[in-house]
This record gives sequence, C-alpha cells and structure tokens, in this order.
Amino acid sequence: MPRWVHWRRRTREAGPLDVARLRESFAHVAMHGDELPLFFYSDLFIKHPEVRDLFPVSMAAQRGHLVDALVKIVAQVDSVDELTTFLQGLGRDHRKFGVIADHYDAVGDSLLATLEHFSGPAWSPGLASDWKAAYGLIGSVMTAAARADEQVHPPWWRGTVVACERRAFDVSVLFVRPEPRIDYLPGQSVALECPTRPKLWRYYSMANAPRSDGLLEFHIRLIDGGAVSMALTSAAIVDTELRLGSPIGVLTLAQPLSGRHLLLVAGSTGLAPLKAMLDQLTALPQPPKVHLFFGARTADGLYDLDSLEKMAAQHSWLTVTPVVSGNSKFAGETGSLPDVVARHGDWSGHEAYLAGPTEMVQTTVARLAAAGMAQDHIHIEDFGWSEP
Amino acid sequence: MTTAWFDENNRLTPDELQTVAFPLSRLGRRGYEEEAVQEFLGVVHAEFVRLVNERASLWQDVQRLRRRIIAGQSNGDQQSVLFGEADAHVHAVRILSTAQLTADRYVADAQAYSSRVTEEARLRRDDIMREAEQYSDMLMEEAHSKARDAAVSALNAAPGPQTDQERRAAQAELAYLRTYSDVYRAHLRAYTEGVLRGIEEWERKDAASLQEAAERVPIAGPPAKDGKAYRRS
Repeated sequence: MPRWVHWRRRTREAGPLDVARLRESFAHVAMHGDELPLFFYSDLFIKHPEVRDLFPVSMAAQRGHLVDALVKIVAQVDSVDELTTFLQGLGRDHRKFGVIADHYDAVGDSLLATLEHFSGPAWSPGLASDWKAAYGLIGSVMTAAARADEQVHPPWWRGTVVACERRAFDVSVLFVRPEPRIDYLPGQSVALECPTRPKLWRYYSMANAPRSDGLLEFHIRLIDGGAVSMALTSAAIVDTELRLGSPIGVLTLAQPLSGRHLLLVAGSTGLAPLKAMLDQLTALPQPPKVHLFFGARTADGLYDLDSLEKMAAQHSWLTVTPVVSGNSKFAGETGSLPDVVARHGDWSGHEAYLAGPTEMVQTTVARLAAAGMAQDHIHIEDFGWSEP
Repeated sequence: MTTAWFDENNRLTPDELQTVAFPLSRLGRRGYEEEAVQEFLGVVHAEFVRLVNERASLWQDVQRLRRRIIAGQSNGDQQSVLFGEADAHVHAVRILSTAQLTADRYVADAQAYSSRVTEEARLRRDDIMREAEQYSDMLMEEAHSKARDAAVSALNAAPGPQTDQERRAAQAELAYLRTYSDVYRAHLRAYTEGVLRGIEEWERKDAASLQEAAERVPIAGPPAKDGKAYRRS
C-alpha cells in the first residue's frame, strides 16, 4: 500500500487537521528565531539526558536543521506525496545517528512543550491536539520508513581506512574497507563519520564501482576550516575506523542505458561519482561513447588525470579533456569549465552527468539547457535535506 | 481572555522588518545610504526578536506565578507559593540553553581559527609556487635569449672555409653555452629541491604534531552503545 493512502486514512480518522491554524500558529512561534530550537533541545536534554549523546558538541547547525525541517513540513503539510518522500528519507537517515522509536515520543513531548511555551495566550487545547496529530503523522511515517530499512540495511557500517594518498595540495584519495560489504550503485554517496569528529557526518561519493574485495575509493578535498575534511585528508587517518551511512543518491546511470552518448562534467572532487560510472562502463561489452571534462583551478588540481588518461588510452569509447580555469599557461584547455564544455560542440543528443561545486554545476546546467539539451537528459545530484 | 497582543493583525513582526522595501529617492535628491539603512534594520531586527522573546518569557513567568498563588491559596500551603516545581524546569532550560550557546561559540571560534590558518597556508603555498614559476621562467628566458644570440652570431659568421681560429672560437662558444646550461640547470635543481625540502619538512612536522596531539588527547571511538542504552528510563 502506498504510504500516502495510509496517511490520508489516518488524517480522516483523526479529523481533518486545521492546516491554516497550524500555519498561523507556526508563524507566531517562528518569530522567536533561534530561541525556539534552543528551548526545544534544552527541554529535550533535561527530560531525556541520554539523547544528548546523539548530537555533536555544537548545536548551532542542528538548530538550523530543525527549523528548516519544521518550515518545510508546515509548508507542505497539505501536499502529502512530497512530504512523505521527505519524511521517509529523514526517518531512514536518522538510523545512523542511533535514533530509535522511543526517541520519537520524547521529541514529540518536547516539541509540544516548546510550542506551548512560545505560543503564550494563543495556545489552546484545540491547537495542542492539532500539533499532536500532525507530529503523530510525521513520527509514524518516519518510524515506518526506518523499520522497513532495518530489514535491508544495518544503521551504519564500520569502514577501515587502508590507504590515504595525497594527490594534490588539498586533495587526498582514501581507500576504505567496509564491514560488512556495502552494495550501491556507481554514482551514489555515503555519509562518513570520523572518530575524531564525533557526530559530524559528511557525504562523499564512492569513486569506483562495487569491487569484488569491497574496497571503496573516496576523493576528499580539504575545505578551509572544514572539521571533517581536515581529519580525512590528514595522513594520520590511515587505520582509523570510520562509520559509513547507507548509500544514497540518484546520480546514477539509467538502467538499461539510454543509448545516447554520455557527457560527463566533473569539477574538482566532483570527479568521484563520475569516475565510478566510468568504472561501471568499462565492464560493459559495448559502452556508449563518453566525453569526460575534468576541471580544476590549477593544473596540479587535476589530481586524478593520470589514471583517467590511462583509461582513455585503453578504451576507444572514452575521451578525456582536462580543463584548467585559473592558469593560462596550461597546455590543454583553459577557461571556466562551463565555457569550455559549451564551446566544445553540440551536446544536444547527449545524456549529461554533472558533479562539482554548486556554482559550476548550476552554470553548466544553464549553458547546456540554453544550447538545447532537454532538462531530463541533464543529471545532477541534489541531496536536499541531507545536505552536509 | 483578552486578545493576545500578537494576534492583532496590525502588529509589526520581526520578519516584516527583513522584507521591508523603501522607494528609492529621485536622482539628485538627498537620501540615506541604502547599506546603512539595511545594517540598521538588521540591528533593529535582532533587538526586536530579543524583545519578543523577553516578553514571552515574562508572560510565562506571570502565568506561572499566578497559577502558583491560586494553587497556594486553594490548599493553604505557604511553601508551594514560594517554591514552584515548574520554575525549576524553566530555570534548568535557561541555564542549559546559555551553556549550549557558550559551547557553540567556542566551537565556532575554533572553526574560524582553523579556517584562517588553512587559508593562510593555502595562500602562502600559492605564493611560493608562483615565485618558483617566475624564477624558472626567468632562467628559461635568459637561456633562450643566450642561445638565440649564439645562433644569430653563428649565422652571421662569414660563410666559406672556416679558419682554425674561427673553429676554435665556435668550440669555445659551444663550451661556454654548455657550461652555462649546466650552471642554470644546477641553479634550478637546487632551488626546486629547496622548495621540496621545505614542503617535506612541513609535512613531517604536520604529521608529528598530529601524532603528538593524538597521544595527548585520547581519542574516543564511536560510543559502543546498543539500542538499550538509549531507552528511556
């Protein structure tokens, strides 16, 4: 039974929610800004101190996530399909944090206490039961999705870092052996948590197709002040045991393949998911023609060019064009990646897969669309709620 | 019950402050700097939110005290008028919230510091690389121009049978150029190796300091708790 049927039935049983009243009530409490989630988490941690362990030391980002999720839920509370997909993902995703069914009641209690606290004289038994019903629905969709996921996946995997290769000043390639083996589609990502940065999960794409020995390759770029990337790019990461969340992501090759030629555009470590696809294609008897553009600011930022060129030399269906945006003395193509891709010909018959810095991806999408490529032939990754 | 103060439709809310737009003054007329106005609106917004929160919290206090007095009067218990159980929770929430904000600030400061340090290292590395590139360009350019000069002078040399003296001169020139190129290559190598040594030294220190930090601060692994540990007591 599709989830939304379940949702509708529950709604009818509980009596229709007064959506307008919920929204008005939320608009009033949202006026209190950061105080709202601050009160919520303090109330939760005082009533249930054991829950505090599930969160990182700094709660600043977490408070933002809570408010964002509430805003999204309240905005979409009457478009059930979209909201259900969002909540199911949220429920599955929360398993890796160690969230269990009991926590949902605790969160519901504190949410209600918070809303009551900030609603002041506007709080009424009717409003309380509306919020209770709304939270009941949210919680049931999330726990149901989490329960279904329990049948298929562990909440998280252990993964030992077996090697860390520094390929550029700010890029390292990690090889991780997960236990047990993880099955995923090339192009997907997992959240990683490093023991020196507890409770801070960041998403990284596997850069290889699933291998017989189960080894995973990750490309990590050092972000200035990035707590997790700094730990992951340091040589001291070798032999460390990481935690890995369930594989997620939709940036994967269509099965069966569309038959169109492929255009792959990778900015910096955005190469990882696209390289996993190349890895997948090399195993096919007749891969489609593929043109990969690999861009970086400087020539030494093209950290994986050697192995790509080796691949291109072995496979006649693969063309690799390295692009450097910041250094005009580079022997190959220079200029911004979207410009170079755009001036390299007519891509309208191709299927495009893009990954890299948001701005580069957005600009390339716009250029390709303007040049006549159909929107549904352009594939990008959008983590939405799970944005690191 | 009277109408809640924020139920009145015509009250200004902090959000409205953030979306307010003023018409621009006509060209040539005096007006406020837009940026200064926006900045001030930001300050007013923050203050507004603070006041709204203070007011809500005071309203809660009044309600709690009122309830307590009524309860104390009805059961004649003087003690319960003075000490309310509900107060303890609200106080605890406030104290924890303040502590959390302090922790957040510490983490944010540490993050900002580490961000600054990495950025500086990155910029310095870019400078060093640029400098090395310029230096090598200069050496190459000089070698090229020398070679060009040598070629030009060889072409300009009078055609015809070379005298012994001319051959000796050409050989001398050739030897000179060879030496020159050797010297430049040695220079370039020494410089590059110096830079590499610097980088290696830095990497070794980086690893050593990490090792040291790891030894000093025992790193906790992921908590090996099973589901039961989280269950509500």
